[in-house]
Parts: sequence; structure tokens; C-alpha cells
Amino acid sequence: MKTIKKAKIAELLDKIAAEQTIFAPVAVEGVTRFARWGQHKGDLYLEGNSLLPPKDLLFPQTEKMYSYHVKGMTAAVDEVATTAEPQIIFGIRPCDVKSLEMLDDVFLTKGYVDEFYKSRRDNTLLVALGCRKPEPTCFCTSWGIDPAQAPGADVNAFDLGEELGFEARTEAGQKFLDAYTQFFSEASSSAPKAEECTLKVDPEGITEKLQKMFEYSLWDELYHKCLGCGICTYVCPTCHCFDIQSENRGDQGFKFRCWDSCMFSEYTRMAGGHNPRPSKKERLRNRFLHKLQYFPERYNKFACVGCGRCLSKCPVNMDITRLIDRVKEVKLDE
Amino acid sequence: MKEVTQKMREIAKELLEKNEVEYVVGWEKGTFWYQSPPCFVRRAEEVERLVWDEFCINNLAKYLLDFKHLEGKIALFVKGCDSRGIIRLLQDNQIRRDRVVLVGIPCKGMKDVTEAAKLEEEKPEKLPLAAKCQECRYPNPLVYDYLIGEEVVATAGQEDRFSDVAELEAMSPDERYEYWVGHYDRCIRCFACRNVCPACNCRECCFDLAEPRWLGKRVVRSENQFFAITRAMHVAGRCTECGECERVCPMNIPIMKLNKKIIKDINELFGPYDAGVDLEDKPPLGKYNPDDPDQFM
Ligand code: SF4
Ligand code: SF4
Ligand code: SF4
Ligand code: SF4
Ligand code: SF4
Repeated sequence: MKTIKKAKIAELLDKIAAEQTIFAPVAVEGVTRFARWGQHKGDLYLEGNSLLPPKDLLFPQTEKMYSYHVKGMTAAVDEVATTAEPQIIFGIRPCDVKSLEMLDDVFLTKGYVDEFYKSRRDNTLLVALGCRKPEPTCFCTSWGIDPAQAPGADVNAFDLGEELGFEARTEAGQKFLDAYTQFFSEASSSAPKAEECTLKVDPEGITEKLQKMFEYSLWDELYHKCLGCGICTYVCPTCHCFDIQSENRGDQGFKFRCWDSCMFSEYTRMAGGHNPRPSKKERLRNRFLHKLQYFPERYNKFACVGCGRCLSKCPVNMDITRLIDRVKEVKLDE
Repeated sequence: MKEVTQKMREIAKELLEKNEVEYVVGWEKGTFWYQSPPCFVRRAEEVERLVWDEFCINNLAKYLLDFKHLEGKIALFVKGCDSRGIIRLLQDNQIRRDRVVLVGIPCKGMKDVTEAAKLEEEKPEKLPLAAKCQECRYPNPLVYDYLIGEEVVATAGQEDRFSDVAELEAMSPDERYEYWVGHYDRCIRCFACRNVCPACNCRECCFDLAEPRWLGKRVVRSENQFFAITRAMHVAGRCTECGECERVCPMNIPIMKLNKKIIKDINELFGPYDAGVDLEDKPPLGKYNPDDPDQFM
């Protein structure tokens, strides 16, 4: 394994940033998120997972799609978004690496390839950092994720105490390590194991159960406290809903897409004003059913990786693990 | 606190058993020891869920808007800040006083949850007061039908209530601009600040309108600025300083500083005014007075 003293990491990042685009987790004004190294403010944050996942580096919150102009009776497209530049995401955690599988499913499979996402995804190198001690809100182990290992990354880094150790997982990852070989020492250390998460949930059978619970009274009990804000969906690494809108000025304008949230009142509101999800009840139910029923039905996996962001940031402590527990307690008469 | 909890449950039980109310809204224990989120109790058998402790920080007033069309009555526990929210909603004719049963609880201040999450052990006494409670001037409920517990004395440092604002005012316009765009560039437009706010009670919020779309959906500097300024001006004179917007903001934006600047300006322009304190005293920007100073024009 290649190792580097933790105190030297900023130097390594500086060197990489001088040659390539690299994003790393930083803490700015009490918020931890991925920022472009070299243009960032704040300090490197490797102590825990970031408040915001690096999702926006592959699927930006606001993304211009194309611009156009109108002249008399004709309209023309002037410019279509170009292909993404290569980028490195450094310090992404195993749960967030896992979440890219769900985004890949949505944007790249079932007969439609989203070129915007694909271009960024293909041009992104992932240098993951395994976790040693899960935070109290982490429950990735319940989804079968090993907090130390990120199988989907190009490089897997490990916290060795004073040092970080790096192992390449792909050819591109090996090339990356080779390019900065002067920063690393060779050590015989092996990948450290992670502690088990203290927060646990058993999702076994939950999809089948929920399939029978669309009209169940549980939703009536749950939704009242929800504020209908977008925090839970915007901090979630797997949520991927977006809206497409345009900005027009005179005879020209552009189309863009931006994140949307099923917790918002305008989500699915139709042109005539009808909304099939008129209250917080239907919206909350949609969020949980999407993660635990619809997504598994379509892609054969849950749309949750146990990062715990939603339950730690929700102002009213809406907790997906408790929801799963409660659903499992329900006795349905056959 | 045990006694208060006990009393809460007794009152809730009685109200529900006698069918006086359809819901009792209070707080219950959450996933971790430092969380006491809102809870809605419908049956007398469930009153044991209710608790009172250092983490009952959520302002419950806003929930009344969800029950505007409820046939029956609803009971709500209120701290000082919650009660100011209720008065605001009453003033705006959002709810009728005879449709709510208010159970007041004098509040010694809630604890800082962010700090709690960092503690490895369950030690609420080690925690500082939550930011919003450090400056609370009305810890005692101002409107209620029942009162549980002894009145408390507000200890917050009143003198330096606007010290944050003084810092802002000392900046040059350019510095101030940098300060605010710096913070609002972080805004992810989750709208939690609006949704939790008892002063935000429009039936349809201008930020949700699709036609005309006042607030563009791009999350960029210009739209974020429009959002920040518009929201601040919409709650001007009606903000009860409950601090909920800033507390729920996931991006740590100092929203209260903006609110306080406006409160200070209003006090200077129209005389001292505290929103949600006196039912009869309408907000300065919500009433007509021929002697108004016209500094705005
Ligand atoms: S959820 Fe698991 S992988 Fe993610 S930060 Fe926590 S311990 Fe690490
Ligand atoms: S569950 Fe929590 S974070 Fe999500 S919309 Fe409701 S209040 Fe907001
Ligand atoms: S649902 Fe919550 S815990 Fe699961 S991936 Fe999303 S934010 Fe993380
Ligand atoms: S949970 Fe809601 S916001 Fe998230 S992906 Fe599903 S529908 Fe979209
Ligand atoms: S809560 Fe914070 S991040 Fe969310 S919309 Fe309000 S200011 Fe922006």
C-alpha cells in the first residue's frame, strides 16, 4: 500500500490541483462539502462525512442544457452544453460511492442515456476514503456496505492513524497513484477494518410489505410533523429528481435543469393546477416509497445507502430507520 | 422537568378523553437523546409520548396552518417564542382563538443540538444554550389557557441585542455586499427557513408561483439574492425572533442577522415594536398612519 502522512495531504492536493481539477471535502462557515481545491476556502475536512454529498459534481443543482434564439417564425438552437472536463473527487466516502450506482441506474440505463450525466461520470476519477468509525447517524452496514471499502472507486484510501494509505482499484486509479509517486512511501500495512455502525435497521422484506401499504393509516400518523422542505432530498446522495425550465430575455433564452424535490408543493403540480400529491402526506409517502419500493421494483436495489444525512439534518427528526422499523411492526391482515 | 412532563400528559389526556380537542401537539423523544421533535397525539392512550426537556426547541405555532380547516379544536403546547408565533397568526386572522387550546410552559432555554451531537455521552448539562435562546426576551408564554410550571425571568443579555447588527452596520456597502452574497451563495433553496416560520403564512407563497415565476429556479447568485431579500422584507415587522429559520438552515446562513437589522431599522423608524407580543398592536408595516416617516420614498 502507498502511504502518505496526513500532514502532507494538503501539499499533495496542491500539486494535483496545479495540474488537474480536483475536489475535496472542506469545512467552510460550519458547512462541510466538496470544493474545488486551489479555489476553495476553509480547511480540509476528513474527520467524518460531508454534510452535502458530492452528487452535484456529477449532477449539478443547476445545469444549463442549451441556448436558443427566435427570429420571426424561425427558432434555432445556438449552443448545446459541451462535454465535461476531467475531474477528480478526493475523499468521497464508501456510502456516496455506492450512491453513484443508483444515479447510474437512473441516468444511464433502461433505454435512455443522459448525456450530461454520462459526460461527467466518464470524466470523473474517484479517490474514496474508507471510514474507521461510523458516526452515530451512519447505518450503511445495514445496506451491506463495508464502511472501509469502496468497490466502485478508482482508488481506495484508508485511515491508518498518522497516515493515509492508498490502493488502486482500477487502471485509471493506478495511473493516478503513479503520477504522484514522489509523495508516497511504500508500506506493508493492510486495509484496516471499520467498526460496525451503531445505528441499525433490517430492510429485509420491506419492499413487499410496502407494496401492500399504500393506503395504510401509518402515513396519516407520520406526516404531520414534516415541514415539506427540501432538506432531506437535497442532502441525499441518491435523490435525483429534476425540473427543466427556461429563462427568456427578449428573443433569446436557454434551457436548464435544476434539482427538484418530491417534498415540495409544486412537484407534480400540473398545468391546470391539479396535484396528485396534494398534501404533505402523499409527498412524504412518495419519498419513502420511492426509496424503499419503487426504486427496488425498477432497479432491484434500494435508493438509500445509509449515509444518515436526512435523519441528522431534518429539522423534525424524520428518520428513515424508524420508519422501516415501524413498517415492519405493522400487522397486515391478509 | 419530570413534573412538567407529567402535567402535560395529564392535561392532554383530559382534553382528549373529554373530546375537547382532536389533536394535541407537543414534543416526544426522537432517535437520539438530544432530539425532541414535534409529535401529534390523537388518542388518550398515547399521551405518554409527550415530553418536556431541554430539546423541545421546535416552534409548534406554524403547524396550526395545517389545521385551518379542521372541524374540531386543537391543543398546542407553547413556550414563550411559540406563543408569539400564535399571536402573529391570530393577528393575521389565520386561526381563530376559540379553535385552539393553548397550554403554556415557561421556558428556561433549550440546548444546542449541534454541540450535543458531538458529545459522546448523554450530558445535557454540559451543553450551551441554543443560539436562539441566548437572546430570548419572552421566555414566558404570552397567551395561554393553561400554564404549567413557574414563570421564569429572562436573563438574556438585552443590552447587546443588536450587537451583530452593529457589526454589519460598521461595514462599507461593498463589504456588506460581499458578506451577504458570501453567505447566500451557499443557499441550496430548500425553503426550510420559510416553511418553519410562523411569520410566513401566505396562502400561496410568491416563491412557489409558477406563473408569474417571480423566483427563477436556478440556484445562482442573483436568484438567491432575490430570495433572501424578498423573504426578509416579507417578514419585516412580523418576525417574532423565534430563531427557527436560522436553526433549521442546513447551510448555516446567519438569517437572524438580516432579520435583526430590519427589526432595528423598524424600531428606529416607527418606534420600538416587538412582533407577536400584543394582539392589539398591529405590525408597523401592516397599518396606516398619516404621520409615517417616508424615508423609503
Ligand atoms: S455511512 Fe458508512 S461509509 Fe458513509 S460515512 Fe458513515 S460509516 Fe462511512
Ligand atoms: S422529512 Fe424533514 S427534511 Fe424532509 S421535508 Fe420533512 S421536515 Fe424537511
Ligand atoms: S435516504 Fe437518507 S440515509 Fe438514505 S441515502 Fe438518502 S440521505 Fe442517506
Ligand atoms: S425521493 Fe423524491 S426527490 Fe428523491 S428521487 Fe425519489 S421522488 Fe425524487
Ligand atoms: S434554510 Fe438556508 S439553505 Fe434552505 S432556503 Fe433557507 S437560507 Fe437557503
